[in-house]
This record gives sequence, structure tokens and C-alpha cells, in this order.
Amino acid sequence: MQPILKVQSLHKTYRVRVGLLKRKNVPVLTDISFCLGKGETIAVIGETGAGKSTLAKLLAGAEQAETGQILLDGTTIEDDGVRQDHCRHIRMIFQDPTRSLNPGLTIGEILDDCLSYNTELTHKQRDKKIAHVLIRVGLLEEHYHYYPHMFSGGQLQRVALARALILDPKVLVLDEALSSLDPSVRAQTVNLLLALQRETGLSYVLITHHLSLVKHMSDSLLVLNKGKVVEYGKTAQVFAQPKSKVMKRLLNV
Amino acid sequence: MHLLDIKNLTIELPTENGVIRAVDKVNLSLKEGEVHALVGESGSGKSLIAKAIVGVLNKRWRVTADRMHWQGVDLMRLPPEKRRKLVSQDIAMIYQEPSRSLDPTAKVFEQVSESIPEESLSGNFLVRRQLRKKRVKALLHKVGIRDDKRVADSYPHELSEGICQKVMIAMAIARNPKLLIADEPTTALESTTRAQVFRLLKSLNQLKNMSVLMISHELEEITTWSHAMHVLYCGQMVEAGPTEKVFNAPLHPYTQALVKSLPDYAQGLAHKESFYALKGTIPPLQHLPIGCRLGPRCPQAQKQCVVTPKQKKSHGHTFACHFPLLKEDKKCNPS
Repeated sequence: MQPILKVQSLHKTYRVRVGLLKRKNVPVLTDISFCLGKGETIAVIGETGAGKSTLAKLLAGAEQAETGQILLDGTTIEDDGVRQDHCRHIRMIFQDPTRSLNPGLTIGEILDDCLSYNTELTHKQRDKKIAHVLIRVGLLEEHYHYYPHMFSGGQLQRVALARALILDPKVLVLDEALSSLDPSVRAQTVNLLLALQRETGLSYVLITHHLSLVKHMSDSLLVLNKGKVVEYGKTAQVFAQPKSKVMKRLLNV
Repeated sequence: MHLLDIKNLTIELPTENGVIRAVDKVNLSLKEGEVHALVGESGSGKSLIAKAIVGVLNKRWRVTADRMHWQGVDLMRLPPEKRRKLVSQDIAMIYQEPSRSLDPTAKVFEQVSESIPEESLSGNFLVRRQLRKKRVKALLHKVGIRDDKRVADSYPHELSEGICQKVMIAMAIARNPKLLIADEPTTALESTTRAQVFRLLKSLNQLKNMSVLMISHELEEITTWSHAMHVLYCGQMVEAGPTEKVFNAPLHPYTQALVKSLPDYAQGLAHKESFYALKGTIPPLQHLPIGCRLGPRCPQAQKQCVVTPKQKKSHGHTFACHFPLLKEDKKCNPS
């Protein structure tokens, strides 16, 4: 089966100023490769500073890699740092929904912006699509006119999900999107994500440090340490027989 | 004897549109050397209770309690100076978001040395200074900070969140408190540092017989080592009792939902299957439902639920529900 997302030997370095004139290259990600099938979830775990968030940004197109390719559905969308298509098929949800939504726009305007900049739909079609997507994430059509401060944290994460889904992406990157939620709301959000995956065959890249969620939601697992892949395999297998030191340490606690 | 004994603690906020009751008649009692967990979602009033115990709540809040005894002394009836003295001697608190609750204008050394009690040092000025330095070093080592020199000589913004949290703990244990209130001490930390912090608190509890009141919204991380658990929902105590009983045989629908939303504890849940989750979201404090506050979200709500349920107690297990969940009876002779 053709994987929906394929990442081949991705490298990323940051330039850091050392002294007055010198610059140093600090590698953040070295040689990252993985595949993700349709309707599957890959979880990325690792300690802070392991490069998880950088990987998320690279996938979503917020930053460019030095070398390496990202293939979506068989076509190359990023080749050695040159991006072909922007933020249409790989969408991202951030950690804190209260800070990742514009407080000055209504929910409808936020969603409408996504559509008007990325698609050629008419005004009427856009409105119809927004209403559709709001219902799909478990909100109401009337929420079009609401501002972000009128929602609770869990509902805001739904709005963020709606913003990600409105362009009909193939892959969703969840960068700690579930960790700031309360347990009962988190269970609801997980249920929603799982239902969406079942119905539409969406793929997720789940970045989290919540191991029990990883176990429950993901099919394969990527363990990062200092920018390198230390373990990659089926989730159940990695959990049953961890090979790397990092994974063993994570499982012990 | 109870170390801390609170009955009917109510915390209210008078506003223009009426009084908001953020914490409604909460009972809590803690014996020496026990670890208690206070569990609830955001807005359930966990932090308010902690702050009310320490007495650092803003003046706008109205705190009333039938009794709030600390080792037999009623804290509510003490004059503020005396109360402050008593509390600062015996109770220490670790606040949420350490990088925000440390003083940004002072170095870590100053802040930690400030929390070391003057009485514990003896000798003249110079000797005391040396002792103080030694104590700070020892405290930082104790909480697992290895390069104490660098940390002691830096400002809070130069340190990572995890180290700030450890500094907060060092300051809290400097006086050897009898009770440590930890308000979500691990939310900002990643799993390995989190385990370190828990190990530290656990060893303090076991070696020094220090009681701990842990406040958290993550159930799974505290159930393994707390003796008793109190579950709060929207300011109402829904269930309290020994951890094992509450966790394994919850009587309140909310506790059950909390336990079932943990993938590790929901028995028989297949991979990628939906969790059991309550409908709706936590109501904001301005629009609390009357009676049982879980009412609108509760799967078993009935007409009586508009009346606030009384707390019932059986075998040390308290719950407040009109229709408690029944344990499934094991049949002796299945026919």
C-alpha cells in the first residue's frame, strides 16, 4: 500500500551565534525517516529538546529542512528545503488553544480566512463549508458569530480542529494538542479524533509525552533523542520490548 | 489526632450579579504522615482550597468554615499575625508555574537562603553566613540539582522550568514543614523530571513523616502513592476516601468517568476504541447549575438531582450522590 506521508532523511540545523562573529551550526534533527499509512497514527515521543516540535514544524511547513524529502501521497512536496505546496494537506494543531486563535476575529472569520486564502470557493460555498465543518467537530452553526473568549478550553480545541480540518487535509499534526486539556474533555477530544479517523481515513502525527495515550491511539511509534531516531516500530512491539535506553527510561516512570 | 481538620469550608466571591460560590462545603481531614490527593478539573476550586488553608487568598474572596483546625488550633479564629506565624512554621506550599512565583529580581541563592529559619543557625555573624551557604548547597543537592553553584548564582529566568520547580521545592522544605501542599507541581515538567519530583516527595514523606496534600488533575500519577483521595467537581466534593476504594470501586458517576477516561484503567478497551466520556463541558462559575452540579452532564440524573445531595459515609468512603453506583454483585451460584 502506498504510504500517505513519507519522510526521507530529514536534516535540520539551527545557526547559533557564538562570540562576536562566529556562528555555530547546531544540529536539531539528523536523518529522520518514517512512513505513515492512510488512516494510521504515528506517535513521536522523546524528552524535551529531542526535536519533536521542530519535526512538527517541518512537516507543517512552518520551517524548512536543510536536506531530505517529504513525500505526500507519492508526490514530493518538500525537497532539500524547497516547499511546493503550503499548509493545505498537512495541518497542525497547537498546544494551547487559547493562545493559538486570534482573539479579535470571530470563529467564522478565522475559518473563512483559511478558505479564502487557500481555495477558490465563492462566498456561499465557503459559508456552507464552515457550517459543515463546525457540525463535524461537534459545535453548532451558530458558533460562527462567537469570539474565542466565549468558549471553554475544550471547545476551543474543537475550533482549532475545525480550522485544521476545513481544508480537507490528509495528515494532521497534533503538537501536544491534548496535554493542556482536562481529563474528561480530553477523553471527548480523543473520541472525536478517533471517530474522524475511522470515518474519513485521516492520518495523525501525534506528539505527546502522555504514554498511555500513545499506547491507545497510535499504530507506530518514533522515539527521538537529541535529534536522532533511536527507535521506530509498531507501538505494541516497542512497548513490549523496548530496545533503546531512552525508551526504557520513559517506560520505567 | 488530625493534623488538619476542615469542615464545611465555603469560599465565595461577591459580585454585582450575586454571590458566586466557588467552593461549596468541603470537608477535609489529614493525619500526620499521610499523603492525600485532591483531584479535579480546572475551575473545580482545588487551588482555592489550598490557598485558603495557607491563608493567602485575595481579600475579595469570602472564606467561611465551621472549623479549620490545625493541630487543634482553629485557624479561622486566630488573629492574622498569629496565624501567619503558625502557618509559616508548619505548612509549606509549592505553587503552580514556578517561574512565575519565584522573585524575578533576586538570585536563587538569596531566595533559598531567605527561607531558612533564623533560629536554626547559631554562632556569630560570619559563622552564620557560612552555615547559611552550606545549608543552601545542601538543600539544592537534596532536590536533585547537581551544579548548585551555577543555579544558586542565576536568576529564575535563566533556569528551565524543571529546575525552577526544584528550587521551589527546596524553599518549601527548608523549614521542615509538617504539611506540604503541592499545587500541580508537575504540570510543567516532562516525564523523567516528573518522576524525580515524585520520588523526592515520596522519600520526604517516608523519612521525615511529612504529610503531603497533592493537588492535580492527572489521576493516574498520584494514585500509586497517595493514601486518600478527594475528588472535586465544580467546587463540590463528590467523593472522598481511601485511594484504592475510590479508584477501584467509585460510587459517584463523575469519579467513574474520570477513572474510565484513563486508557490504562479502562478494562477491556480495545486499541483505538472510544473512551467513556461524559457529555458537555464544565460549566463556568457564573452559570453553575443548582443542586448537584454534575446534574446536566450526569448519565443517571433524575428529578431529585436539583437538590444538593448530602454527603453520605460508609466505611470511611464519603460520597455525595442521590443515586450512587452499585457494585456488581458476584453471584454465588450462577444458574
